[in-house]
Amino acid sequence: MYYQLINFGNEEFHAYPDKSLYWKRLNTLIVSDLHIGKSISYAKNKQFLPPYDTKEILSKIFVSLDKIKPSNLIIVGDLLHDVFSTLSLKDQDHKNLSQYMKNTDFIWIKGNHDKNIQIEGFKNFTNYKIDKLLFTHIPIETSLFQICGHYHPKVKISHRGKTIFKTCFIHNEKIFILPSFGILTGGLDIHNKQISDVLGKNNLSIYPVGQDKVYKL
Amino acid sequence: MNINKSNPLLLHPLNKWMKKKKWSWFPHQIETFHHVRTGSDVVVFAPTGAGKTLTGFINPIYDLIKLKKFKGLHTLYISPLKSLANDIVRNLEKPIKELDLNISFQVRTGDTTPYKKQKQKQKPPNILITTPESLALLNSYENAKEFFHNLKYIIIDEIHTFLDNKRADLLSLNIERLQTFSPNLQRIGLSATLKNKQDAKKWLCRKKPKIVSYENSVLPKIRILESKERIPWSGHMATYSINEIYKEIMQSKLTIIFVNTRAQAEYIFKNLWLINKKKLKIAVHHGSLEKNLRLKVENNLSKGLVDCVVATSSLELGLDYGDVEKIIQVGAPKGINRLLQRVGRSNHNLNTPSKAILVPTNRFEFIEAKAAIEEIKKNNLDKIDLKEGSFDVVAQHIFGTACSGQFEINDLYKEIIKAYPYKKLKLNDFKQLINLIQDGGYVLKNYDQFKRIFQLRENKNIYKLVNRRETRKYRMNVGTIIENPMLKIKLGTKTLGNIEEVFIQNLSQGDSFIFAGQILEFQSMKNNLVQVKRSKSLISKIPSYSGGRMPLSTNLANSVRALLAKSNMWDLYPEQITEWLKRQKNISKIPKKDEYLVEQFPRKKNFYTVIYTFAGWHANQTLGFLLLRGFKEFNYKPLGFVANDYAIVLWSLKEVKQIKTILNLGLLDKHLDNYLEETSIVKRLFRDNAIISCLIERRLPGMEKTGKQVLFSSDLIYTVLKKNEPDHILLKSSYEDAKKNMIDYDRLREILKKIDKKIILKKLTSISPLAVPIILEINRENLSKKETDEYILEDLENEILKEANVLSIN
Repeated sequence: MYYQLINFGNEEFHAYPDKSLYWKRLNTLIVSDLHIGKSISYAKNKQFLPPYDTKEILSKIFVSLDKIKPSNLIIVGDLLHDVFSTLSLKDQDHKNLSQYMKNTDFIWIKGNHDKNIQIEGFKNFTNYKIDKLLFTHIPIETSLFQICGHYHPKVKISHRGKTIFKTCFIHNEKIFILPSFGILTGGLDIHNKQISDVLGKNNLSIYPVGQDKVYKL
Repeated sequence: MNINKSNPLLLHPLNKWMKKKKWSWFPHQIETFHHVRTGSDVVVFAPTGAGKTLTGFINPIYDLIKLKKFKGLHTLYISPLKSLANDIVRNLEKPIKELDLNISFQVRTGDTTPYKKQKQKQKPPNILITTPESLALLNSYENAKEFFHNLKYIIIDEIHTFLDNKRADLLSLNIERLQTFSPNLQRIGLSATLKNKQDAKKWLCRKKPKIVSYENSVLPKIRILESKERIPWSGHMATYSINEIYKEIMQSKLTIIFVNTRAQAEYIFKNLWLINKKKLKIAVHHGSLEKNLRLKVENNLSKGLVDCVVATSSLELGLDYGDVEKIIQVGAPKGINRLLQRVGRSNHNLNTPSKAILVPTNRFEFIEAKAAIEEIKKNNLDKIDLKEGSFDVVAQHIFGTACSGQFEINDLYKEIIKAYPYKKLKLNDFKQLINLIQDGGYVLKNYDQFKRIFQLRENKNIYKLVNRRETRKYRMNVGTIIENPMLKIKLGTKTLGNIEEVFIQNLSQGDSFIFAGQILEFQSMKNNLVQVKRSKSLISKIPSYSGGRMPLSTNLANSVRALLAKSNMWDLYPEQITEWLKRQKNISKIPKKDEYLVEQFPRKKNFYTVIYTFAGWHANQTLGFLLLRGFKEFNYKPLGFVANDYAIVLWSLKEVKQIKTILNLGLLDKHLDNYLEETSIVKRLFRDNAIISCLIERRLPGMEKTGKQVLFSSDLIYTVLKKNEPDHILLKSSYEDAKKNMIDYDRLREILKKIDKKIILKKLTSISPLAVPIILEINRENLSKKETDEYILEDLENEILKEANVLSIN
């Protein structure tokens, strides 16, 4: 898999087209906003989305774990969509997860969607600090460099009269926001007030995610 | 006509009123009355002005007054438009009030207040005038059966507008529902003149089907605008003739200018104002304008307070504007029926001809306009192809049925296959659609505890809605018309109308565009509102609206081909057209009526292949994509293609040597599936399917996206579904829709079946005169998005004309 090199907080990261971020120095893989079980949570409101999102998200993460074999996996929040989501995790899924946990340390930072949910074998954190980096779902007041999720950023690209939206990795000097690793999760325009309130409007580095490649704007 | 004895309508309650007005009954009214009285379902074909609406009401009014006292809902009248429904009420009011008849009648549409609706349910009027969507809603109420059980007549107005779209599916299912509620129900259809009257009869009638037809012997007077200017090679804005159009407006009391697209409407409206020295009152009318603005124009029109209205199909139907003296059609007529419908908007007096002027905006359109006039003289109308029913509409109907009460699966199936569009619906597909409504119908059963409808334990064939809350969702989602995501345009605090989200996304702050006849500057977008201010900018964009691109009808296309080949007619055309065709004949060839001309020539390092199919835009677009794949396979290194109604041009790096080997039926069989997959056609239709079948909820105008916008999109669902469950019924449904409606599959198939023996291949050294218009479109397509500046196009045009060595024709 091709990756895009990103420098942030005096560290080097690799951004992959599967929307994961790899911190090579510490052999740590970072993902965000998986929203496992979103389909089942919608089903309770009678919106019957294809019930394959959980299966696809897990297989995507397993593929990545197999390839990279990281020592740590940090999930920067919203692993699950809501309380109902645990229904979509079958016995086999739990077995597979604990298998992977043998070689990889799973660090689950709680997001707004899953803050009150527990899964067996998962360690929970509100945020997690490594050196000068703070992993947190939503950015907080701090002097540390922060790696977050929550916003599902996407960027509008206009070129030759055509306009497309692409999911992206985005950061300013202090804050890095990951795209959503989920399947049925949409995105929020990076120019939306919610994101610009956090990142500001200038000195942004934006990395749109393509089919097999992460680009740099 | 076989009605002997004297006219039975002389005893009709309305006869007195007719006499007072000095009107007499039309033969088709007498005939309809007779057939309906003797128990037939009837379709009446008559032109505007021949008392069509009244014809529908003759039997209901007679029964209500002359037969035994009747309480409750007696007759349902279905109109294709809300505005038309209001108009019908006004027309019905006159005789009923004047004669003081004891008949109650009301309208019920999306605009009716909840209070009034509630009243109607408690105390229904004798006659209810409504739309297909409102009928579907009425059928979904718990007491629907009770409400309709005594219904005697259903009248479908303008039935010809329903036959070939998903609204027809919805309506047909709901008519069958009514028939179940009230087995004695009789059906009366009212239609403009049609070629395939039998098809309309098959669609509607069940009991002793009858056709009643009245043809107008007075033909409309249609001519092509005589212009001193040259007719441009390509383009659609009729800029060349704007002064002459203005003159025509000045010369008549009230003119409607019909155009084919909203963009054309805005553009022509703007240009007319630029030269409006006489201060004529000119207005614009199209579907995107705010309702109040539209109503104001309609009002002024009926009171004769305007001199001219520039309109799209939004003014095509029904409404009677007595004083319209002249119709001007700008742009290609596209089809005979459509043109006749538009021409019929002028002069509602049957004995004097309607007057219309056609303004071709380019040279091919001149031939098309000429051909249309010829066909109208021969009264050769277009055929309307009945549509096979779509799956998603059945799903919606199942949901609606469940809202009205529990249902037995076999009973419902039997009822549905009585509807003409669903005659061939398979039981297995129907069951899958039940599952779709139940829980999405996925193979993976994850949603058992969340079902929307469920099977009764004691009888698995009976389904029931899980809770009443769901009925609200059904009501929000009812209908088959899916609008593109639209945003409201606000000038200060005033709403001007709706504009496509896609268009706004392409604008930057400060860009100006034309809307509602004004030049506006885009300021900001907040909460689905587009804030604009007035602008003085000279360069402005015109919102283009996807959809609404009507392809050339097969009938008219054939006529265009025939006319083109008639070289003895050429001398009657304007000199520039004559010269154009003569040169084509010398340099290349004019194809005969049944020939397919293919021209190949080198141009600017590339190699061009032009195929004149006259197959209409949809079919040509598809053929273009297929040929692109065919060329790739033969390693001709194709670079692109452009299609219009008449032809396709492809350009490639290498010479295309075996066009005859590629261009045949095999092309379709081999590449169609891939084509559907690769282009976004199926994906786009999946969105409609997912909404119509109530899998995802409709985003209603004005409804805001939730703050974080992490909503799923139909594209994501499509991708997941296709990967995991490619046989899912909604994918099948979308694919069928694509094949049937979007790509003109049947038409293309017909052409490809016989094309290989009829290809006339011309190898040329440079571009031919006939190819100039479509070659110009290549550059237009590639440029138009950013620079619609006419000067650039002018410049380009000259450059290409020099190349074709045809400049002297001007």
